[in-house]
Amino acid sequence: MRHRVSRREFVKMSAAGAAAATWVVRPAAIGAVTVTAQEIVDRVRKAVGGEWKTDTVDTFKAGEPTSPVTGVVTTSLATIDVMRRAVKAGANLIVTAGPTFYSRVDSPTPPAGRGRDAAAPPTPDQVFTAKNEFIRANRLVVWRFSDHWRLRSPDPFAEGLANALGWARYRTNGDPARLTVPAIALEALAARVKSRLEARGGVRVVGREQTRVRTIGLLPGTRAVQEIVALLPQVDAVIAGEIREWESSEYSRDVVNAGLGKGLILIGRSLSEEAGMKMCADWLRPIVPEAPVRWLPAGDPYWRPPV
Amino acid sequence: MTAGEVVDRIKKNLGAPWRENTYRDTFKSGSPETPVTGIATTVFASFDVIQRAVAAGLNMIIPHEVTFWNDRDDKSLVDADPLVYQQKLAYLVAHNVVVFRTHDSMHDQRPDFTFVGSAREIGLDAKYETSPGSHRFILPETTLGALAASVQRRTGARALRVVGDPNARVSRVQLGVGYATGAANTAEVDVVISGEQQEVDGVLDSPEYVLDAAALGIPKGWIMLGHAVSEESGMLEMAQWITGLVPEVPVQLVKAGEPFWAPK
Repeated sequence: MRHRVSRREFVKMSAAGAAAATWVVRPAAIGAVTVTAQEIVDRVRKAVGGEWKTDTVDTFKAGEPTSPVTGVVTTSLATIDVMRRAVKAGANLIVTAGPTFYSRVDSPTPPAGRGRDAAAPPTPDQVFTAKNEFIRANRLVVWRFSDHWRLRSPDPFAEGLANALGWARYRTNGDPARLTVPAIALEALAARVKSRLEARGGVRVVGREQTRVRTIGLLPGTRAVQEIVALLPQVDAVIAGEIREWESSEYSRDVVNAGLGKGLILIGRSLSEEAGMKMCADWLRPIVPEAPVRWLPAGDPYWRPPV
Repeated sequence: MTAGEVVDRIKKNLGAPWRENTYRDTFKSGSPETPVTGIATTVFASFDVIQRAVAAGLNMIIPHEVTFWNDRDDKSLVDADPLVYQQKLAYLVAHNVVVFRTHDSMHDQRPDFTFVGSAREIGLDAKYETSPGSHRFILPETTLGALAASVQRRTGARALRVVGDPNARVSRVQLGVGYATGAANTAEVDVVISGEQQEVDGVLDSPEYVLDAAALGIPKGWIMLGHAVSEESGMLEMAQWITGLVPEVPVQLVKAGEPFWAPK
């Protein structure tokens, strides 16, 4: 926390800044117009369109919804690293596509674990403890925005991914999940995906390196084999987030071994949703004029040793 | 020697009760009456494995995993598929190939060859295991980076994935196989090495957990070999075991291999 500015220093800096009129002090910073996390969520619920689901992961995961918001951060995964960067940027509301506490249930205490009594008190876990403590100390509020964001049409995760690949103009019939691109070898396509998404070790490919690709289907997120089986016949390559290997990658391997020139590129769930949360920041900005909104990428979780 | 007789010998010698209700360990292609010319063990009866087995004169395939890309080998998933299902099925029928899956029975057997094979391949020596069958190994302290490099070198896995700080000092390894992958927050475990596990929205999302542990300086690691690499090594032990049960025909491992490669 050595970069954190103390309250006294902040007041001094603000006064100096205001006197010199060298920075624009946003209304939220001087407390003239404030918006709470709950108010932002209420606006999102209204703006996102459609019915709000009763069974949804899109809920507050940590912090006090009545907190005035100093800044909003969107991200694919609310890791401690993202939270630290949010605090440094002066933001206190994290809008995340993924869980905060490492599970769909997203409980701030560890799961009971296999064979343990669910009613028993949770085993202390220093990672859970430290994350809770960091959230508390920095008065962060975390809200998950996943189910409803992905229901928008066109799918913002696919649209974001197409944009991140630099291929927004290659939509097929306006559908951002279907691209028709200048012919590219599967190997070069995979390399482009890796560099454009700033992936480290998360990109894995099924197919022959020289297979020529013109049509691409995008399936960001966690996808069922039924979706892969339905889409692969229609395109040369599918770029997906995560799948089950005994299903979709084996299916794709058989398709390739049957002599059909196809490819499957997997990029991981979290990385596949990163660009969609960048779109989310752009979408939130006009909805939340009181506070700065920025996207903070969580990055590719994976790496692999150099061969 | 018929395929049914081979299966009967497996059941009789398993050393564990056969699960009569299993939908996994059943015939996926061909009939028990088919005379067997040779047996191929493999992790996945991929189209390629089937063709190589036939070329080697082996008409019975014993895979650990699925044939038709879903756990129940439910053909309704792929009936509509115009690409490959009909071709694969036609090839199996044309070459009189029998496929019998051994999944639940392999995991019920002691030792479980999937663990034995993976530990052998990775180099997790039995002398480091906390107790036989614990699948927990206390290795001389190393770094996550060095451990991952060693695992990659030994398995040859081109697309293995690692989460965690490469400089983390680690020694306690939990070995998993396939999708049976321990959680990264398990007490007294530094590194989980396994096949695959859901990245997000599971019971304990280990990748995110390990990222946070790394941010806090807590030594944790997550090394995923991929499902096929993780469980294929033990199909060598399976081939050796079946050789002893069925001396009448040749038995060999026909590797499906790693389905993935990684871009540069």
